[in-house]
Amino acid sequence: MMIILLVLIVFGCVGLGVLRFVLGPSDADRIVALDILFSSAVALCTFAALSTQRVLFLDIALGVALISFVATLAWSRLLEKRNSDKEEI
Amino acid sequence: MTTVGTLFIALGVLVLLLASSGLFVLKDALSRQHAATKAGSLGVVMIVSGAALIGGNWSWGWRALVIVILVWLTMPVASHVLARAAMRESRSKDEVSDTNLQG
Repeated sequence: MMIILLVLIVFGCVGLGVLRFVLGPSDADRIVALDILFSSAVALCTFAALSTQRVLFLDIALGVALISFVATLAWSRLLEKRNSDKEEI
Repeated sequence: MTTVGTLFIALGVLVLLLASSGLFVLKDALSRQHAATKAGSLGVVMIVSGAALIGGNWSWGWRALVIVILVWLTMPVASHVLARAAMRESRSKDEVSDTNLQG
């Protein structure tokens, strides 16, 4: 019963992240929202592992954490490159 | 063990909720990044270690340990690159508005 409440709270975090992702005035805000969304995804994977008692979902959480790192790095490098190109012009 | 794990998970979810409410309380992309990445990494680590405590098994334990080490290695790097991108973006926007004012 406790875990349902926690999952609902994490869904609230996902909602806030999606709202900031859609509203975000700059692209940096969208990357920050993406970071929150990936953290929530890791948390939800952990809750899935707990509620089904299968340790396999922790491996999925590990994969999601890796994807989060690569996605944040790639997107913020892209943003930085685009802004430096704009400055040269 | 289960009680401590549940407490850890509840605290982690609370930290995650604080981090995502920081997306709306703070005004700037740079300060939003400050709240989101720092608190997000702490929340994830607390949730995963709480799950390992509830699992009470080494097959849970070493997976949780790998996730914790991975998050603590990668989150500062990602947040640093993200902060640099946000700073560059705000600076280029300032320069654009300055040239608009001068022109």
